[in-house]
Amino acid sequence: MHIPDGVLPVAVSAAGYATTGAATWYSLRKISQKENPQENIPKASLLTAAFFVASWIHVPVPPTSVHLVLNGLLGAVLGYYSFPAILIGLFFQAVMLQHGGLTTLGVNATMMGAPALLAHFVFRLRNVGGKESRVRTGVFGFLAGAGGLGIAVLIFSILLTTFIPTHLDAAAERASICVLALAHAPLMVLEGIFTTLVVLFLRRVKPELLDNGAGDENRTR
Amino acid sequence: MKWKPALPLALLLSLILTAAVSAHGVKIEYTIGMSVEIVAAYDTGEPMAGGQVTVYAPDEPSTPWLTGICDEGGRFVFTPDPAKPGTWDVQVRQAGHGDMVHIPIGDNVAVSGSTGYTPLQIVLMGACVVWGFIGTALFFSRRRA
Repeated sequence: MHIPDGVLPVAVSAAGYATTGAATWYSLRKISQKENPQENIPKASLLTAAFFVASWIHVPVPPTSVHLVLNGLLGAVLGYYSFPAILIGLFFQAVMLQHGGLTTLGVNATMMGAPALLAHFVFRLRNVGGKESRVRTGVFGFLAGAGGLGIAVLIFSILLTTFIPTHLDAAAERASICVLALAHAPLMVLEGIFTTLVVLFLRRVKPELLDNGAGDENRTR
Repeated sequence: MKWKPALPLALLLSLILTAAVSAHGVKIEYTIGMSVEIVAAYDTGEPMAGGQVTVYAPDEPSTPWLTGICDEGGRFVFTPDPAKPGTWDVQVRQAGHGDMVHIPIGDNVAVSGSTGYTPLQIVLMGACVVWGFIGTALFFSRRRA
């Protein structure tokens, strides 16, 4: 689900870089406000590796196949670190694997990174209106994992259907985009469950690893 | 060392790396004979059946010279205009995935070629990148002196 070079108009690629620049600046600013910004870098680095490798793991959904994205998981576990992590992961995927492209790096980073930040906010809701519990963490973990991917697929589909070049058969291209988008529905469930398992595991063994949301910011203010 | 629980997870994912090298990248191979045959496939090996092909001539790289559709096996054959030697660009696209191959037409050129890397190259490069991330994690988690 990476948009390669030569598919989108130049203006869209430039706009992608602009939004990615703004989101990276915002994320880094939030990170630098933390008490110890370096504390979470090991976690972010390892999850960047997981994100980089995830695009190799494909899940057959007839008549097509989809691959893991894990942007929702990164958002839930990494918080503001998720956007730079996804940007770095996408850069290496584009350079090493021809998966995506350098001109569309900004578009792809916005497409996967912005939903990751949303997933972070969704996951933080587990602390709102009641005490955090195992069930709440699991449920909001699932929503973050599935929702992060779902919004990314939505942006992917809207971008591609809006900018189909005139010389292509637009109906056929729209149909194949639609099939690919629908094929991501089972993957959303899968990534939701995977995110639930990861956050419940972390909650059990190292609960402070999940504490990169409201708690951190309140401490630093 | 707070990230330790994440380490087995990352290692597990790294191991899967060698087991399943497959994604939505696209590889296009071409063979030049009397006409040019291209074969487009996802890097899972699955052919791009029904992929939309756009051929650009060397003299007009922004205007499509020919458009067409790949057959069931991801195959597409066209005959370039011999009066236009140079690099012909062929783009194959389906559901926003695709790639472009640059085919030299004229005298003294190779008769076949392809885009992309071999699986071994990809696994090696991927392993290096993953090790880079693990190294970064180790560096930032070292004990302060």
